[in-house]
Amino acid sequence: MTGALAVWQALLWRDLRAVLRSRSQLYSSVLFPLMVLAFLGAGVSGGLEPASEAIRGGDYASFLVPGAIVMTVLFSSTFSSASYYYDRDWGVLKVLLVSPHRPMVIFVGKALAAVVIGSLQALLVLLIASLVPPLDLAWQHGVLAGVLLTLLTVLLLSSFLAGLAQVLASHIRTMQGFHLLMNLVLFPFLFFSGAFFPLEDLPRWLQVLAVLNPLSYAVDLLRLAVYAEGGTFLGLAVDLPVLFVLGLLVPLLGASVRAQRALV
Amino acid sequence: MREMPSPVRAAGRESPHPWAVEAEGLVLAYGDHRALDGLTLNVPSGQLFGLLGPNGSGKSTLVLALAGLLQPQAGALRVLGRPPSPAVRAYMGILFQGSSLDPFMTVEETLWLAGRLYGLGGRTLRRRLGELLEGFGLGERSRDAVRTLSGGLRRRLELARALLHRPRLLILDEPTTGLDPEARAALWQQLLAANAAGVTVLLVTHEVLDAERYCQRVAFLSQGRVVAEGSPQELKAGLRRDAVVVEWPACPPEVLAELSRWPEVGEATWAPPLLHLSVDRAADVVPRLFQMAGDGISSVHVHPATLEDAYFAIVGRPFRVEVGTP
Repeated sequence: MTGALAVWQALLWRDLRAVLRSRSQLYSSVLFPLMVLAFLGAGVSGGLEPASEAIRGGDYASFLVPGAIVMTVLFSSTFSSASYYYDRDWGVLKVLLVSPHRPMVIFVGKALAAVVIGSLQALLVLLIASLVPPLDLAWQHGVLAGVLLTLLTVLLLSSFLAGLAQVLASHIRTMQGFHLLMNLVLFPFLFFSGAFFPLEDLPRWLQVLAVLNPLSYAVDLLRLAVYAEGGTFLGLAVDLPVLFVLGLLVPLLGASVRAQRALV
Repeated sequence: MREMPSPVRAAGRESPHPWAVEAEGLVLAYGDHRALDGLTLNVPSGQLFGLLGPNGSGKSTLVLALAGLLQPQAGALRVLGRPPSPAVRAYMGILFQGSSLDPFMTVEETLWLAGRLYGLGGRTLRRRLGELLEGFGLGERSRDAVRTLSGGLRRRLELARALLHRPRLLILDEPTTGLDPEARAALWQQLLAANAAGVTVLLVTHEVLDAERYCQRVAFLSQGRVVAEGSPQELKAGLRRDAVVVEWPACPPEVLAELSRWPEVGEATWAPPLLHLSVDRAADVVPRLFQMAGDGISSVHVHPATLEDAYFAIVGRPFRVEVGTP
């Protein structure tokens, strides 16, 4: 296990260096969600005056903060997943796999690196959102509890997305195909996750889709942690178990599938 | 964080197994295609051993099987006396065919990452990095990104990485492909030094001259099987001084029988459209061939006999084209 920890630390260091080197990746992961907060938030708050009770005082920008955090994790996971393809195409994957570790250890390490990087970026967005005066976060359970709950949520969500990416990367041979799938399937999930609209006000059919959407549980839990004053559409008792199951089982499944198809 | 047991320290304590590689009847198929088809091979420890075969003969598949990344469907395989496993890989260094470097990492980062993968850390790793950077002439480029290195330096970096943890078995898959003569010579200098230090080197290649010049023993691989094995001298024993390769698309069958009666002709092999002759003196044979063939001959190539000719004579096919494999 000590050997595995050293490998995971080294893989994390390598991927962190890659993110810091690739400024465009860092900017687009963090800046785009912040731009959504600034422009979409201010635009809807001022231009449409949302009347939903779930949007406190019609302040749509603050309502968007949980969705922006989920968006950050989603972007970061997509970028991190690209490294599976780069590593394969550069031949680095083979070098990792012929080291004295089981393929599972290598792929868990790659997933952990993606989780840490995604979580750090999401926390950076939260930090910026907390410091911008017009954004009004309620922190109904206190700042410390809110931050810890946010951290837990982004860790579980990143973990789920990293596992999902491993499964997809095992079956989709090209990076173009992978990005196409992410853009066509996963990003639309944001639209019915509660990131942009209160789930309470959606039509019944869309609420059913939202319940089937893994992202909804992360948005809901983050809203509970930083934005809401009171309960949320799904609630802590539903969000946490679902996210734990997704965040723990899917990455194990992903690393296992990837290890069996290590050279794909 | 504690370090994992390091092969660098452990290697000195155990006596080497007499065979670095023992393969018996290995079968490994991709669908209907048998990349390894009953391959049997023994590589003695400490040797520089060449595995020679054309593209598609199963060489790279064997490398992946030795690393434990592909599981043979039949047969027995032992590396350094044990079945392939992550633990055995701690004592193996592998240089893959083609580049296997992250172009955006620096030279030093590349070696550091490899060191961490093999359980090295702290002062041990720093010392080893210093030795390798100096020994491989990479010291001045240690902070440069890999993408800025020449092809020769990249290959040298990959070799340094493969030797970083002081492996007992070094597997090289086409190590000199694409290198200019100077870079090739520099790489061979490093390889010979590693072999002289006791590292078993398994050279998997289709570079006949490299195998002939440097390897103590060579095995010929064809269609997933070892078809001959011996020292380069043993493998060439049946050959005469010169080799004559004649492109003769419509060579009549009776010509082969006629040629084998000529005293100056040793082996005569017909693999349409090529006629391969092992002869004492090409200058005596070629004019007579033209007298026989008239306009039928498209080209003639004459050279001193090499392992490539031994391969042709033994396998019955030219070395450069593997028939019947994808």
